Amino acid sequence: MTITYPDSTSDRTGGAGSVRAPLLDISNLAVRFETPDRDVWAVNGIDLEVGAGEVLALVGESGSGKSVSMLSVMGLVPTPPAVVSGSIRFDGQELSGLSKREFSAIRGGDIGMVFQDPMSSLNPVHPVGKQIAEAFRLHRDTNRKEAMKRAVDLLDRVGIPNAQRRARDYPHEFSGGMRQRAMIAMALVCDPKLLIADEPTTALDVTVQRQIVSLVEELKDELGMAVVWITHDLGVVAELADRVVVMYGGRVMETGDSTDVYAAASHPYTAGLLRSIPSLDTPTDAQLPEIPGTPAPILEQLVGCPFHARCPMTEGDCTGSLPDLEPVGGSGHASACLHVSSMGSAEDLWPMDVTELTESGSTSETVVTISDLKVHFPSRRKSRKNRHSYVRAVDGVDLEIKHGQTLGVVGESGCGKSTLGRALVGLVEPVAPAIQLRGEPLDTSRGLHRQKIQMIFQDPFSSMNPGMRVADIISEPMRIHGIGSAEDRLDTSLKLLAQVGLPDDAATRHPHEFSGGQRQRIAIARALAADPEVIVCDEPVSALDVSVQAQIINLLRETQDERGIALIFIAHDLAVVRHISDEIAVMYLGQVVERAKRDLIYDDPLHPYTKALLAAVPDPDPSGRGALAPPLVGDLPDPADPPAGCRFNTRCPVAVPGLCDVEVPQLREIESRRWVSCHLVDGPGGQVSEPQAGSEAWSSVSLSEPKQQNNEREEDE
Amino acid sequence: MRRLGLRRLGQYVLVFGVAVTLNFLLPRIMPGNPLALIAGVDVGLMTPDERAELIEQVGLNRPLIVQYFEYWKSILTGDFGFSYRSSRPISEIIAERLPWTLLITGAALVVSAVVGIIVGAFSAWRRGKKSDLTLLTGMISLESLPSFWLGMLLISIFSVQLGWLPSFGAVTPASDLTGWAQVGDVVEHAVLPTVTLTVLSIPGVYLTMRYAMLEVLGEDFIRTARAKGASERRVLFGHVARNAMAPVVTFLAIRFAFSFGGAVIIETVFSYPGLGRLIFEAVSGRDYPVMQAAFLVITIAVLVANLFADIIYPILDPRSQEE
Repeated sequence: MTITYPDSTSDRTGGAGSVRAPLLDISNLAVRFETPDRDVWAVNGIDLEVGAGEVLALVGESGSGKSVSMLSVMGLVPTPPAVVSGSIRFDGQELSGLSKREFSAIRGGDIGMVFQDPMSSLNPVHPVGKQIAEAFRLHRDTNRKEAMKRAVDLLDRVGIPNAQRRARDYPHEFSGGMRQRAMIAMALVCDPKLLIADEPTTALDVTVQRQIVSLVEELKDELGMAVVWITHDLGVVAELADRVVVMYGGRVMETGDSTDVYAAASHPYTAGLLRSIPSLDTPTDAQLPEIPGTPAPILEQLVGCPFHARCPMTEGDCTGSLPDLEPVGGSGHASACLHVSSMGSAEDLWPMDVTELTESGSTSETVVTISDLKVHFPSRRKSRKNRHSYVRAVDGVDLEIKHGQTLGVVGESGCGKSTLGRALVGLVEPVAPAIQLRGEPLDTSRGLHRQKIQMIFQDPFSSMNPGMRVADIISEPMRIHGIGSAEDRLDTSLKLLAQVGLPDDAATRHPHEFSGGQRQRIAIARALAADPEVIVCDEPVSALDVSVQAQIINLLRETQDERGIALIFIAHDLAVVRHISDEIAVMYLGQVVERAKRDLIYDDPLHPYTKALLAAVPDPDPSGRGALAPPLVGDLPDPADPPAGCRFNTRCPVAVPGLCDVEVPQLREIESRRWVSCHLVDGPGGQVSEPQAGSEAWSSVSLSEPKQQNNEREEDE
Repeated sequence: MRRLGLRRLGQYVLVFGVAVTLNFLLPRIMPGNPLALIAGVDVGLMTPDERAELIEQVGLNRPLIVQYFEYWKSILTGDFGFSYRSSRPISEIIAERLPWTLLITGAALVVSAVVGIIVGAFSAWRRGKKSDLTLLTGMISLESLPSFWLGMLLISIFSVQLGWLPSFGAVTPASDLTGWAQVGDVVEHAVLPTVTLTVLSIPGVYLTMRYAMLEVLGEDFIRTARAKGASERRVLFGHVARNAMAPVVTFLAIRFAFSFGGAVIIETVFSYPGLGRLIFEAVSGRDYPVMQAAFLVITIAVLVANLFADIIYPILDPRSQEE
């Protein structure tokens, strides 16, 4: 079965395309990993084409086979243990069965690849420029000097300031965003026809993610290359992709032009993903629709639809026959579902739970008061100016957290939000006592306040002792604080397990037997065990598969509703906190720059930084293209040496020289329970007063990287 | 970097100070007469007058703090006192013995490092293949050999049966050789002890290198190197080996210090006149002052080896400069 894709170059890429043979043509690709314990069927017969100059988004969760199939194209899947079959044709050449040497000629030459984690994907012992030059020298007959010049040119092109000098730096001297730019430079050094980007922005901040997406968009037009963008997040690529392929369980579930797939998802899985991802538009008063269960590895040959166990439309035949892609509608839109014709609207299939949360447990009683919280760490970096420099991780924060309510804390990595959370549970010591629990100074000694404030960590894989059984993990807080007898504690643990939706027999198992989502449920149970008043959630869903995030967010909301717990929900992404928060504090370089009721923050953000964060949220709606503001420029300044005046002035598009870089703005309460620290905000309903007003100013200001900016502008208009 | 380097240097000075202080305190707090331990004499054979004179001479009657500073002064001026057995200044004896130990341990270190690193890298390249497994098994058996047994085996083969190499000493006694002939004589005597030490330290270097290489092979940046089209060999020697060297250097530093002490057995087996043999002689002759001086020298060797590793480490791994 093959679907012929009509030329899908949209009007947007304008002119880049005409009718052409596919550049990459994968047919019936299957990859199986054989290990002594078990076989994992990672890719189970997929067909996929990428045209020259086309941008294909390959979307799926962990274990969907999206990365493995693209690594097979690169010959980077280790055989053994992998067994690869099927045909991969690139630019008219059959790649399967090539020798190692022949593959080396194509890798990095005509196909460039960018990987997920820029922190670990560059060799720490070689300078960045040398690593890029190496890629050039491997494929071109050139000398060291010319290769270095080429590397510097490319570093400059991908937006590294002072490229000549920075090329001599080592990777650890680059920020995350800069490293990913360097990775892109390395992939592009030989003018590839195809760029494979494997989750290139997943490890980055949303603001930096926007920069990288824009950069790739610009470069592919300039170089006329095709791009396969692998991602788990439908939102990221909505504005970039011409065509989307959705994978699950090593099969293609749905494919089509991105406008068709986003607007009229024809597969229950795609529809579910689109519905369950928290976005800026989903209503906040109802529960998010959940896709039940978790993605599981396929351990034997597929005989039915891999999604059947989690699908609301499953019927008897779904387990017995493997659905192939069948066209739905025109222009190459196809879906692999036996019951595609009977699928109703996505809203009916994945309904929102309309039973509104009562918030009965919520009172206006203040549980935690934070006043002028400062947490400073001795700086490891040398500073000539002052001998004792400090990283001001949190630098003067005032907040209150109310009973049964959720405070969302948002900002880029390095803004101090996690340190704030740690200070609350006593993991780090503030400069001076600044936290009060119900009017008493916070005492983190055992048995006192530490019991009342619990924490849920980001990574459910490393935040649990692998040697302990689940029941012991959950009951440990009770044991530490001397609550109940051993039987009581076991009893409570079992009750908590049921409450977070895990079976009784989970109690005697070890953490490694659970998926990420299940472990995060265990973490919630552990946090509840000591019967706390406050739970600090530090990015509790960002390490989870997208289809599981909604489950955890809903569980946290329900728990809060039942017990009246105050939550501090820390996240880097405004879309995630929106669904659960009552109030939101936006942090930048250790300080709160804006704080208000949730709806005010989203409907009427005042601080330029809040606006920038909102603009950076990926929107899974390609029709919204062009309306987006330009990405925030540059990286977070060094927290050990924050800029003078307003800390945001170096990246602010509306900063007024002589004011913003001189005077420190105060966090002012401009109306009841609405604070902002910006010189340019007047008052209630007031907008940025100078130089122009509001959002228009935001999208038409001139940013400091002119080259990138110009291209950006053309795209936008 | 420089400021932090000074801090690191300060740590070494501190450790040295602690070692010297312990060396000062030990004979004074150990049971028995400290006179025997410090002056190295048999107290029982002396008259009370002689004893009093000696106590006055070594200063045991002065306040402890004064003795402590006196001790520091003598250490820093290289004065370790006199040997009880030979009545010669200990500094002279050590100056005579130390070069021989440095010769064989230094040579063994260099050779075992080169061989261990190369073979370890090769093994990692052929990981899981027959050659790798053979080497791995061989190295593990080699590591379990007792050092004296290996030394005696080598003597019985190369000195006794084949008669190729001398079995004891560092030079041929009373041979009056000069120039190249003397160098040849020294080398001839050093071969067997060096080979023994080398063979014993290769497995450790090999295992460290092989393991470090395998660790690095799993890193993301190795996938990056492959993705840019680097051949397997280039990946291994351009990207893996350099990263794998850092743990090997640490291992070598520890190994060097260890072989100083380990030389006791080897030098005894080969009657080689180095520091190890000196310790053996001092122990069997209850020559406490010599033992103490030798221990201090070993302490210094450990510190120097670590300092050396500290200096090399940032060159191998630029990330560690920031720490």
